Amino acid sequence: MAAVGSAASWLFRLRAAGAEGHWRRLCGAGLARGFLHPAATGKDAAQRRQVAHFTFQPDPEPREYGQTQKMNLFQSITSALDNSLAKDPTAVIFGEDVAFGGVFRCTVGLRDKYDFGVHVQNMEDSCTGKDRVFNTPLCEQGIVGFGIGIAVTGATAIAEIQFADYIFPAFDQIVNEAAKYRYRSGDLFNCGSLTIRSPWGCVGHGALYHSQSPEAFFAHCPGIKVVIPRSPFQAKGLLLSCIEDKNPCIFFEPKILYRAAVEQVPVEPYNIPLSQAEVIQEGRDVTLVAWGTQVHVIREVASMAKEKLGVSCEIIDLRTIIPWDVDTVCKSVIKTGRLLISHEAPLTGGFASEISSTIQEECFLNLEAPISRVCGYDTPFPHIFEPFYIPDKWKCYDALRKMINY
Amino acid sequence: MRKLRHRCCSQLPKALLWETGGVGAQTLQVRPLSSQGSCTQPARCLPAAVVKPHPHRQQEQQFSSLDDKPQFPGASAEFIDKLEFIQPNVISGIPIYRVMDRQGQIINPSEDPHLPKEKVLKFYKSMTLLNTMDRILYESQRQGRISFYMTNYGEEGTHVGSAAALDNTDLVFGQYREAGVLMYRDYPLELFMAQCYGNVSDLGKGRQMPVHYGCKERHFVTISSPLATQIPQAVGAAYAAKRANANRVVICYFGEGAASEGDAHAGFNFAATLECPIIFFCRNNGYAISTPTSEQYRGDGIAARGPGYGILSIRVDGNDVFAVYNATKEARRRAVAENQPFLIEAMTYRIGHHSTSDDSSAYRSVDEVNYWDKQDHPISRLRHYLLSQGWWDEEQEKAWRKQSRKKVMEAFEQAERKPKPNPNLLFSDVYQEMPSQLRKQQESLARHLQTYGEHYPLEHFDK
Repeated sequence: MAAVGSAASWLFRLRAAGAEGHWRRLCGAGLARGFLHPAATGKDAAQRRQVAHFTFQPDPEPREYGQTQKMNLFQSITSALDNSLAKDPTAVIFGEDVAFGGVFRCTVGLRDKYDFGVHVQNMEDSCTGKDRVFNTPLCEQGIVGFGIGIAVTGATAIAEIQFADYIFPAFDQIVNEAAKYRYRSGDLFNCGSLTIRSPWGCVGHGALYHSQSPEAFFAHCPGIKVVIPRSPFQAKGLLLSCIEDKNPCIFFEPKILYRAAVEQVPVEPYNIPLSQAEVIQEGRDVTLVAWGTQVHVIREVASMAKEKLGVSCEIIDLRTIIPWDVDTVCKSVIKTGRLLISHEAPLTGGFASEISSTIQEECFLNLEAPISRVCGYDTPFPHIFEPFYIPDKWKCYDALRKMINY
Repeated sequence: MRKLRHRCCSQLPKALLWETGGVGAQTLQVRPLSSQGSCTQPARCLPAAVVKPHPHRQQEQQFSSLDDKPQFPGASAEFIDKLEFIQPNVISGIPIYRVMDRQGQIINPSEDPHLPKEKVLKFYKSMTLLNTMDRILYESQRQGRISFYMTNYGEEGTHVGSAAALDNTDLVFGQYREAGVLMYRDYPLELFMAQCYGNVSDLGKGRQMPVHYGCKERHFVTISSPLATQIPQAVGAAYAAKRANANRVVICYFGEGAASEGDAHAGFNFAATLECPIIFFCRNNGYAISTPTSEQYRGDGIAARGPGYGILSIRVDGNDVFAVYNATKEARRRAVAENQPFLIEAMTYRIGHHSTSDDSSAYRSVDEVNYWDKQDHPISRLRHYLLSQGWWDEEQEKAWRKQSRKKVMEAFEQAERKPKPNPNLLFSDVYQEMPSQLRKQQESLARHLQTYGEHYPLEHFDK
């Protein structure tokens, strides 16, 4: 799994860096020439590669947390992890390939920074002391089980699953063990200091196994929290909250934003509360709800709606999937009377169904139109067909238009 | 800043760089780790040949293709030019360490742990008290008083021998057939019963089926039903103990059936690679419900797997409480001192049914069970030892049987009389704090009970 993943991530990194020519050369001149011929000019080659389906919109520089620095998403993650390792001597970070910096660079520099030469009572020559940021064998059920065990002793465990697509071997440990630890023991034991981080969501070329958004599987599991940030500033604050939260948390990181999302992020630690949705734009006519990358898609949809239809949209970033902020969404729908929810994950059983079901229960008489869900199709995530699969701004716009005209 | 291990271009003949793409020169000089990052032209450098530490070491290696030794990072071994498959040895497997014979006589005096009388009496009383509690609680399930039970018949020696060799603060992760460990750590009968009855005194607040014990005070992590899930968790706990310089070992119990789970493989591999102070204690009792070991594995049991992971392993006679004690004691000492895992496979026999939901006469003969019950039982072997030492006699045996039964019956009757916990405890501890949506559900149940309460067994529950 990891081998293909790192190949995919290697390509992703090059692409995201925008180095088109560099990419073509390294792919192998012969192959590229054959593939791109006859339209072999640099410009046409770029057009053949899809442009991103969204534009990242940075939030204004935060003022209340002290000095800020320009960071992209993976750097904001590194910053959060750095703060955690500094504050909490029990904190450890582990998973596949995290030691050298991780396939998405989220843990770059941390292993060396926190190597204080801790004495390890072992063979003389293995005293490297690198016991805080370390690789594990290639085994997701082991990574999560091991993380649970660390957390049971009260130490802080930050586990990385290399791609959310590979979290399923750990499903038993997460659902049957981590989520139920406190409840089943009558609060004698818990693994609240466990956080699992994992790259999530579409990336342009990830296909079935590097693009999944599995939050719905975990939404059905009382006892864990599932959190998805939309930006570097949000990510750092939410990740720190997950790490400090006294319940096991899964933190999904939109991988397409790792390099593409850049904004000013405070250097010092700060917290963004969990289970609180954020109204990032107020509006009167329609409520749009999304999380992660899709927030930027619906932001654009809101502009389109304003421009083309004169419709004022209220945009909500859900941020925490479970336990989710029912009150904020209800309050908004009571005001607007229309709700559109959008996510990349497949429609059936996707988290939009939960939101839709709850909102129609709570706000039935306020609704002016059926709740709309714009989601991925009920298929595995395809490779070449990605542009058709994803719930892009045109699909969202069209659904919005139909809702307005209902 | 990312540190790449560079091999500076200036060290290689230019011709070779062009010919081979830079890797695979006649002589590769690999820079030692200490000079990482000092390359002035990293963009032109190629990654160094992989210097994979093996087994636990980082070292400089001189590679030369003139030298005929294997250079593979993945194994430290010699070449062989004869095609030969390694034969797994299952006819004459790993030998079984024992101290006493079946009559309780010490075989090799140098292996006698020379435990003091009080300690050995504690072994005996823990095992017999557990046995008595098992009989009574099994019966109580048959009578419909508790919903479910699992006995420990035949395996008392594995629990008590290992528990006695640990420190009281060593963390225990069990599967479900290790109640003797708790018994040895003086977990009160009242609390065993409270958990089985799910009454107000249950530390687990009535949430789990019987025998899913847990005790924070006695460092016994609450049992969960899924098999083998505790194995990688125990490894993580051991890693944390190592980091904290706690001088504690973690012991992880599981059966030979659970050892087939992926989590077992994961746990073994992580413990070895991450150098964790953990004892893996496998109770090989011959059956996983109805599945005999011949259908569970084809290799030489569980002990033979340890070396495959780089783990020191031993097989012991699980019905010999001194053998279990000695092996666990030594494993504990070394695990803590050397930060490495140990695997103990305790051979024993599950005399009872798998649980109250099982009737094992469906898949094994009564004769087989009787053999173990009568001829090779950890309790009778220890009793023979006690008798031969003059530390026990028939009168004491009779008195103890009466006393232990009385203790169990008292605890049992008390447990029966207590109410169950308040139904509000259905909703707490899902998270540390109760989410607002869950509180609404709790309120909705309260309202429901106000109207429909007569249809629910509220009279048995705490108000």
